Formats: sequence, structure tokens, C-alpha cells
Amino acid sequence: MDASATTQPAAIRVEGLAKRYRAVVALDGLDLSVEQGAFYGLLGPNGAGKTTTVSVLATLARPDAGRVQVAGHDVVSEQAEVRRAIGIVFQEPSLDRELTAREHLDLQGRLYHLDDRRRRTGEALERVGLAADADRPVRGFSGGMKRRLEIARGLLHRPRVLFLDEPTLGLDVNARAGIWEQLRELHAAGGTTVFLTTHSMDEADALCERIGILDAGRLVAEGAPEALKSALGGDVVEIGFEQPDGCAAAELLARIEGVLSVTREPEAARLRITVRDGSRRLAALLEAVRPHVVSEVALHRPDLEHVFLHHTGHPFEPERLGGGG
Amino acid sequence: MSRALGDTLAILQRELLRYRRDRAYWVGQIAFPLAVVAFIGFGLNDVVRLPTGADYLGHLASGILALLVGSAGVGGGMTLIQDRESGFLRALLVAPVSRTSLVLGKLLARALASVALVALLVALLAVFTPVGIPHPAAALLAVVAITVAFVALGVVLGTWLRSVEAYRLLAGLVTVPLYLLSGIFYPVSTLPAATRWLSYANPLTYGVDLFRYGLLGVNEFPVAVSASLLGVLTLASTIGAVVAFDRGLRE
Ligand SMILES: Nc1ncnc2c1ncn2[C@@H]1O[C@H](COP(=O)(O)OP(=O)(O)OP(=O)(O)O)[C@@H](O)[C@H]1O
Ligand SMILES: [Mg+2]
Repeated sequence: MDASATTQPAAIRVEGLAKRYRAVVALDGLDLSVEQGAFYGLLGPNGAGKTTTVSVLATLARPDAGRVQVAGHDVVSEQAEVRRAIGIVFQEPSLDRELTAREHLDLQGRLYHLDDRRRRTGEALERVGLAADADRPVRGFSGGMKRRLEIARGLLHRPRVLFLDEPTLGLDVNARAGIWEQLRELHAAGGTTVFLTTHSMDEADALCERIGILDAGRLVAEGAPEALKSALGGDVVEIGFEQPDGCAAAELLARIEGVLSVTREPEAARLRITVRDGSRRLAALLEAVRPHVVSEVALHRPDLEHVFLHHTGHPFEPERLGGGG
Repeated sequence: MSRALGDTLAILQRELLRYRRDRAYWVGQIAFPLAVVAFIGFGLNDVVRLPTGADYLGHLASGILALLVGSAGVGGGMTLIQDRESGFLRALLVAPVSRTSLVLGKLLARALASVALVALLVALLAVFTPVGIPHPAAALLAVVAITVAFVALGVVLGTWLRSVEAYRLLAGLVTVPLYLLSGIFYPVSTLPAATRWLSYANPLTYGVDLFRYGLLGVNEFPVAVSASLLGVLTLASTIGAVVAFDRGLRE
């Protein structure tokens, strides 16, 4: 082993990872490290490179450059060892339409050499609410049912490192809460390192101990969600107006001491102001917009969307920042 | 070793589940040879005289079965593309299973399904044609060799073709000449000299001949020659399929 042998080896270690698909640069010198037993979230907009990262980590795509280790093994030269240690829930469908839910899990159990696969299969089906549909071919499943089956399959062998590529995409609120609960339990039971990708700020915030923010193939920020948010050093004040022309007050507000940024949301007739010491400056802010009729005021800590905006200079999901929410 | 065997069996079982559920496929595979023999075979039987003096009906029936085994093999190779399209292939590739087990499972499943199909059809055809099973070992080797060779061909095509349509087209372009030059419809010895040499160079010729020996006891080439050629073909195809699968599926 190398110098890192003195400390506990990381569950995932990525150094200078680059990956391109013909002309498209998907990953551009990615560095990241995830400790054993951590719950890590990779957050990024569409096309940021999340799936590409997971594919390389799971031995399905070859890195063009860089060194990548998972569970202490190199993903290029020790593929078999890596595969034994990991589990994965793909973003894209990966089921056989002609097989039943139970047959999928049974095959998984056999491929991972689980002695008690019958019991585990039954339990897993129960947990994701597919017990009643266990013996129907997947062909007749709804999107959410398929998703839940994919998750059950990824967790069945209790992998040391679990990759979840946007696991709750397309699930309804209940199913999503159920999956979150299951992931929390799995993680609390210890031993499993979870690496989750998402473009849902809520999901990253709710589940992950640490998050990395990925944009255009690079990691632009990393840390605990709370730390990332407080590092922005301000509060967010939202002022809603009776009329959209209230947004004209933006320039005035920007000149007030302590104001870091002002974002206009004309469709919602609202301004978003990032300001140091929000509660003390609230009165001054309201004074400045006085000629316009204010309909609502909210003061809160910055969320991950602000973190993203701050580090990349562009909104995470333009339509969400712009529209009402 | 026993791990690899267990993995292969797990893959095999999954493939067989799929074949078993494909009702339309079985109906087609059973109806087609019966229809050919019933509608064409009986008519031609009185017209066509084989130089060997053997009955044409038996020649045609056994030839059609060999054709069926070949096309089933091509279909077996196509499952690779289907697995990629459904995304299921990803789940297999990320599992701790060797590429060899994945390919062997596919090859074996198709071979087993074809052996079952041939057994069933021979039983049906035996009622009204000279087809029987005088040399089961020869018939078995021929079915396995033809299947493995065609599935392997399909795997090679499947690693660089992305759509089922492209696969069907290209597989047709490659296999139809092989069929026509293999003695399925007429004995190779009745072909003009030039084409005959092409037939001799066609591995399927020996598969068809050994198959016919198994079903009718009639052969154009020495059994030992065909059997050894097919043994080598099976081995080479298997290795070729594993290598193509391993090389072709890297991103
Ligand atoms: N197989 C491929 N062939 C060509 N380009 C690809 C391929 N896979 C990914 N890309 C490109 O690489 C970039 C990163 O894609 P990736 O799928 O990793 O993004 P992502 O963060 O997972 O996005 P999403 O949130 O939409 O899933 C994109 O620009 C995409 O077009
Ligand atoms: Mg993705």
C-alpha cells in the first residue's frame, strides 16, 4: 500500500479523472474522495457529468486519464474486485421486460452468491411495496414500480459501496419518502458507503452528509450542506410585490450596505436579496422599496440553489429560480 | 470454477425463461417447417430425383430443420442487442460475473432451446417423412455447432450494431448465402463445379451434412471429417464470441 495506508482507506478516491465522448468533454479533471461509511451526494444539473462519474466508478466506462479507486481497488486493473464490492441503481432503465420482479431479484441473488437469496428477495419486495406484484412480468409495471424494483435490486446484496444515480427520479412523494427512509436505515446500520447523484436540492439536503457540486465536468464546491450554505455568509430576503413593477427597486436595494446580490423574478413579482445580517437590515430593505406595495416578505438562510449560483455564476435550474416555487 | 459454472447456469436460466415465454416464436418455429414440408415437399417429392436415390422429402425436411437451427442461432445473437436496448445488459456487466460466463450462458441457452425444438419437430415429421433420429450424437453435435457458430456471429455483429433493424439486415446478408451454399435444398454434389467449391469452403455445409446423417443416416462427406470440423468450429466460435463480447462492450 502507499502513503495513505496509515489512515483508513477511502471508499472512493478519484484523482484527475477525465472522460470524453468524441468531442464532448464529460469529465474534466475530477478529484474527489469519499470516506468509508459516508453518505455522499453529487449534485449537478443535466449534463454535468454525474452519470459519467458513476459509470467510471462502477467499471462500466473507462477513464481517459486519472486514477480511480473504489473500495480500495483500481477500477481499470481490478474490475472484478470492484464489482464484488459495489451495488448500483442506474438512472436509465435496466430491467428485462419479460422477467418478473422476483426473477430479477433471484438472478441478482445468484450472481452475487447470496445463500439466503429467497428470504432476502421476499423481504426486499415487501420493503419496496412490490410483494403483490412479485410474479408479474415487468412489462406490465408502471414507471414507479420499475424504479422501486431497480432500487430493491441494487440493495439486495448489501454492497459495501452503493451507487445511486438519481434514484428517486419519477417517484411520487410517498414512494420517494419510503426510499429515503430505506436509504437512511441502510446507512445507519453502518458499513455501507452511499454515493448518490441527484439534481434535486431537497434530496441532497435531506440525505447527504457531504455533497459535491458538479458543473460541466468539474467539482466546483464540496462540503457538508450546512457548511456550504453558511459559507455564503448571508441571508436571503424575498420581497413579493402587488405589481411586477416592484422589481424596479432592485437597483436601489443593491446600494444598501450589506447587500451581496439581488435577483429579479419578474414573473413572480418578486426580488431575492442576499444580505449579510438579514434580520437587522430587513427594515432598511423595506424602506427602500416603499413606493411599491409589498405583498409578502420572507427571510431565510440560503439554500443549495444559492450555493450553486454562487460557485458557478449561473442558476442551477433557470426555470425554477425564475418562476414561482 | 464452480462459481463460474454457477454464474453460467444463472445466466442460462434467465435466457431460457425468456425463450420459454416467447409463444409467438415457438408457434412460428413449429409451423414453418411443417408448412414447407406439407406444401412444397410433397409436391416436389415426385419431381425431384436425388443422385443418391434417397427420398427428396427427407432431404428437404432435414434441410429446413438445419435452416431453422441456424436462424434460431441468429436470433440468439440478437438478444445481445435487445439486452443493450432494454438496459439489462448494464446490470449484467456490472455484476461480479465473468464475460465468459455471460457469453457461455447465452450460447448454451440457445443450444438447449434448439435441441428441444429439433427433438419436437423430428417427432412430428417422423409421422409423415423419412426423418428420424438414427444417429442422435451426430445430430446433437450438428445442432450445437450450428447454433454456437451463428450465435457467435450474432455477438460479433451485436457488439458494433446498435439497432435490431440493422442487425436483422446485416445478419440476413451474411447468412442467406451461407444457407444457399450449404446443401440445405439440394445436395452439394449436384451443384456446378464453381459453386461446389464455395460450398466446400462453407462450414455450414458440414453442419448440414452431419445433421442429415443424424436424422436420415445419409451423408455426402465422411462423418469423422464433418464431426472434427464442427468440433473445431464450435470451439473457435465460442472463443471468438467471448473475445468480441469483452472487447466490443467497453466504452
Ligand atoms: N455515451 C455517450 N456518448 C456521447 N456523449 C455522452 C455519452 N454519455 C454522456 N455524454 C455526454 O457527456 C456529458 C455528461 O453526461 P452525463 O450523462 O454524465 O450527465 P449527467 O450529469 O448525468 O446529466 P443528467 O442529469 O441529465 O443525467 C453530456 O454532455 C453528455 O452529452
Ligand atoms: Mg445522469
